[in-house]
Amino acid sequence: MIKLMRLEWKKNNILKYARNAAITTAVLLLFLLMAAGELETEETVQSYGKSMLDMSVGLFVHMSYIIFTGVMIAAFIVGAYEKKTINLMFSYPIKRSKIILSKIGAVWLFNFAAMVLSKAVIYAVLIATRSFTGISAAGFPIGEPSFWLDAVLSSAAMVSISFIALPVGLKMKSSKAAIVAAVVIVCFTQGGIGSVTLANNMTFYAILFVAAVISVWLSVWRVETRDVM
Amino acid sequence: MSYILQTSRLTKTIGGKELVRDVDLHVKKGEIYGFLGPNGAGKTTVMKMIMNLWKPTMGTVELFGKPITSKSYEVLRRIGSIIEFPTFYEHMTGEENLRMHCEYMGYYQHGSVEKALKMLDLSAAAKKPVKNYSLGMKERLGIARAILCKPELLILDEPTNGLDPAGMKQIRELLRMLSAEQGTTIVVSSHILSEIESIADTIGIIHQGRMKKEIGLKEIEEMSLAYIELSAQNPERAAYVLADKLGLTNFKVMEGGMFRIYDERVTTEEIAKTFAMNEVAVTSLGRKAETLEDYFLKLTAEVKTND
Repeated sequence: MIKLMRLEWKKNNILKYARNAAITTAVLLLFLLMAAGELETEETVQSYGKSMLDMSVGLFVHMSYIIFTGVMIAAFIVGAYEKKTINLMFSYPIKRSKIILSKIGAVWLFNFAAMVLSKAVIYAVLIATRSFTGISAAGFPIGEPSFWLDAVLSSAAMVSISFIALPVGLKMKSSKAAIVAAVVIVCFTQGGIGSVTLANNMTFYAILFVAAVISVWLSVWRVETRDVM
Repeated sequence: MSYILQTSRLTKTIGGKELVRDVDLHVKKGEIYGFLGPNGAGKTTVMKMIMNLWKPTMGTVELFGKPITSKSYEVLRRIGSIIEFPTFYEHMTGEENLRMHCEYMGYYQHGSVEKALKMLDLSAAAKKPVKNYSLGMKERLGIARAILCKPELLILDEPTNGLDPAGMKQIRELLRMLSAEQGTTIVVSSHILSEIESIADTIGIIHQGRMKKEIGLKEIEEMSLAYIELSAQNPERAAYVLADKLGLTNFKVMEGGMFRIYDERVTTEEIAKTFAMNEVAVTSLGRKAETLEDYFLKLTAEVKTND
């Protein structure tokens, strides 16, 4: 499986995605640095035990990488059906479900790693530059394991939830549909109407996670017996 | 007789539309099997089912003596194929695409990629991204990929699409070489008769989703398909002379006052004499042999008539 994932990265030019992820992180960092002073002047503003700045890091990183994952789902999986390279893949002596799962795994692992790394870089830079920006490090206690556990788990959850876009793209046979579905997921998970938001509703996330698992299962289900059009 | 590939009553229906029905195909080890049929006859459908890309609605495919199922993966290691048109990772070079193929096939033989590229005259373009290849170059790269891992069975669906006459000749020679020197069994589909005629040992003719005939080229040669072709100014009177004066029944009336006489007992001299005696003007008269093209057209015409 690892070898198949490595081949997926190679043939989909993963360095291009790594570069784009780095640019995304840099842009987010720049934006957050500019916003940091504003946010932390209201040091008392807390929500669910998190400072506004910590929440902003999570919000923007999650938003960016849900879309990023959608783009990669479109390129790695839906695009393979669109461009018919999947016919070539299915002519290899490898179980079809293993091929699809390797594609899913390649996208998931890359985005998970990129998201965690992105958060780590942003937090590190925010702390390193706090003497210039004047923000307090109390908002994101990077010395505490629970802080990182939260960062890792939320990243894993967000990347997983992005896979709801997969069956949409496959059903509509459209890469664009997969990306649009990812944008819709961002709106539902990170957005809000007035003061109403589902961003911190754990039940909602649990439902989405189950939906993501079903989405992956649907994409692999009967793949061995289905005709490749 | 044992076959390396055979299908039995292979049928495929999609959305209520029957694409192929009851196709029985038999390919012997080491032979070149020409799968012949006009566009839309069902060649690609059959080939997709052989490659397990499409599942038969009914019937079976047997490869190397074993029926293929949805779990038949290992058998694909022994097959090289091009179905419809070859697809590539366009940003990668031709060489990189072939190396990737080796990785997936689990085939590691030093120099095999270079050799395949050389065989298809692609060495100079090996380092170029595939997106810069012409249609003909992509087709050749597809063939290079299909033969790369020295398959025992090669399945090529219209492999000369997009190739110029020189390229077509090169592919024909390559297929002959693979069959003769490596003992590769080759199934090659085409709608161009001359392409198949010059290389195949056996021909399978498919038309409107049905297998019309499987026949060895030697058999066609031995089938005494010679006939006399005559052209008369008055076809009705000519038909009367042939039937009543010469007592012939085995002749066919073609378009434009042409007749094809298949009866071996009658000679051209005899016909000329009888027509002259009955004052029927003959504009041309000669003995001809039926080509594979005629044979193919006859078979496909029969399908239309029967329908």
